[in-house]
Amino acid sequence: MRECAALPVAANLQSCNVMNGPYPEIEPFYTGTLQVSSQHCIYYEESGNPHGKPVVFLHGGPGGGTEPKHRRYFDPGHYRIILFDQRGCGRSRPHACLEENTTWDLVDDIERIREHLDIKRWLVFGGSWGSTLALAYAQCYPERVSQMVLRGIFTFAPDEMAWFYSHGAKTLFPDSWDDFVAPIPEHERGDLLNAYHRRLTSMDAPLREQASRAWSLWECRVATLLHEPELIGHCNDPAFTTAFARIECHYFVNRGFLRTPTQLLDDVPKIQHIPAILVHGRYDVICPMRNAWRLHRKWPGSRLVVVHDAGHSASERGITQALVEATDSFRDAPA
Amino acid sequence: MQSCASMTTASRRTLYPEIEPFRTGRLRVSNTHEIYFEESGNPRGKPVVFLHGGPGGATDAKQRRFFDPSAYRIVLFDQRGCGKSTPYASLQDNTTWHLVADIEAVREHLGIQRWQVFGGSWGSTLALAYAQKYPDRCTELVLRGIFLLRKQEIDWFYQLGTSEIFPEAWEQFLAPIPIHERGDMLRAYYQRLTSDDFEQQRVAARAWSVWEGSTSFFVPNQEFIAHTGEDAFAVAFARIECHYFVNRGFFPEDDFLLRHVDAIRHIPAVIVQGRYDVVCPLTNAWDLHRRWPEADFHIVGDAGHAAWEPGTVHELVCATDKFRA
Repeated sequence: MRECAALPVAANLQSCNVMNGPYPEIEPFYTGTLQVSSQHCIYYEESGNPHGKPVVFLHGGPGGGTEPKHRRYFDPGHYRIILFDQRGCGRSRPHACLEENTTWDLVDDIERIREHLDIKRWLVFGGSWGSTLALAYAQCYPERVSQMVLRGIFTFAPDEMAWFYSHGAKTLFPDSWDDFVAPIPEHERGDLLNAYHRRLTSMDAPLREQASRAWSLWECRVATLLHEPELIGHCNDPAFTTAFARIECHYFVNRGFLRTPTQLLDDVPKIQHIPAILVHGRYDVICPMRNAWRLHRKWPGSRLVVVHDAGHSASERGITQALVEATDSFRDAPA
Repeated sequence: MQSCASMTTASRRTLYPEIEPFRTGRLRVSNTHEIYFEESGNPRGKPVVFLHGGPGGATDAKQRRFFDPSAYRIVLFDQRGCGKSTPYASLQDNTTWHLVADIEAVREHLGIQRWQVFGGSWGSTLALAYAQKYPDRCTELVLRGIFLLRKQEIDWFYQLGTSEIFPEAWEQFLAPIPIHERGDMLRAYYQRLTSDDFEQQRVAARAWSVWEGSTSFFVPNQEFIAHTGEDAFAVAFARIECHYFVNRGFFPEDDFLLRHVDAIRHIPAVIVQGRYDVVCPLTNAWDLHRRWPEADFHIVGDAGHAAWEPGTVHELVCATDKFRA
């Protein structure tokens, strides 16, 4: 049973995750907000062991927000677990705001939180857009990153965008795709991203809401290997969809605010010394396996874990297990 | 008998037991070609013809097991150039329309009036082509892993699509082809598979077949991948497939099979498709379903392309059981 069986008798038995699933639910020992610009105020929280090894969780989207279950990828006896809601989403304010909201603003926010919490270096953990942001952050501040655990790799390369919003995912999910394109008139479908962007940034609230829901449902319906009604319900909730759709689309039409389309792949040499584990579901149709394979090829020191019976979501059983194993394996690595 | 309606993973139907044919034979269908056929199950049962994939994939004893042997007279045959048909891997006089004519020749030879037509992957292509030409000969159609042989479907599997989901296997498929030829993988392979250099043919055939073997199962099946890499299978499979694909299935139009769906819409039919079929992606079946709403359409959530996926076997056996009477 993984490392758990080999733990010395004196080890904290509660931290022995024999189920191979996520760690138990926990509550934060501290929550706070941080004013990061004249308008943005972001929510952050700490859970687990206050004296433990620090880890920062970077959520997806952008615009996805954090959830209590995100704390559960980390052994709470060993890790000081930091979650925060990126600008404009979750409990950060103002909600769904697109001003001063770019990749580089978020990278700076991560540094602000690190300094505010007086942390020297931390493990950086992120999936999907969280992996993008993790790469961007680590490439700017490699000396601040002890290890990386990345899931559902997304480097924002143009072919990765085209896969999801043009030619790829729709081939496997033509049924969901039909619903995604339905709100857009035929003559605008040549450029769906901009067609959606116009609606998501429109002053017409019902139009905006309809577009938000269709945008979010497309992603949620294809995120898991098998149909997950609970997730679909979540992606129908305007409290989630408005920020999620608006912020995602804003980042996507702006190509992630990257210097060049392949910046995050080209700058891998800046981080190749950092121990890293990449976890990817074989049937991830949002961020296909090729994204992880290409990153891994450029980063030979990274370890790639392919989960055969999983899609994109971090909640897939095999993905959760691989992520927990990854963070467990870094427990005793230097902070 | 378990109900097909209430399906949990545990209550899925499985294949019928192994059986031996009660008759095997060979039929000369042209100056060049002689094909192998066999009959199993009930000699006085309801006739069904099994159309195998590829083209060039040949039949296999396991394929008899989709059918209740007490109810069906099960006819399998190896299409031109593969399996026990001869000459092996021959591309001469080998087109969709020759195979359609062969199906008729087998039917007449066996004195069968009408039969159920069952086919997956290329077998679905051939079943549609046959049924559209001879609708009166088909009692029902059971189709799996729909392949309409359109350009977009060939491009998906041999240029850009499956490559994104199986990038490691794709690297192996690219390996025998020099970089400057990779813009048209189908053409590059065709040149090698039809080369006079037998060694080059063999190397290309193995890579071609292993690519399909590696991507056909939801969870990779090492035994199947090894089988696809054997020369005895791979050379016919790769040469015949590539020959058909370069010639775009010998269809006069790209969407020929979709255009002529109206000719068969009155025939009771079941379409079974794996959600994670990356060889013949769901969009193919979806396009067929939209043109043919009368056909029962079943998406199997946890299946890839292969007929042997547990959820796919379940749906296929349910379909043939339903049509038994």
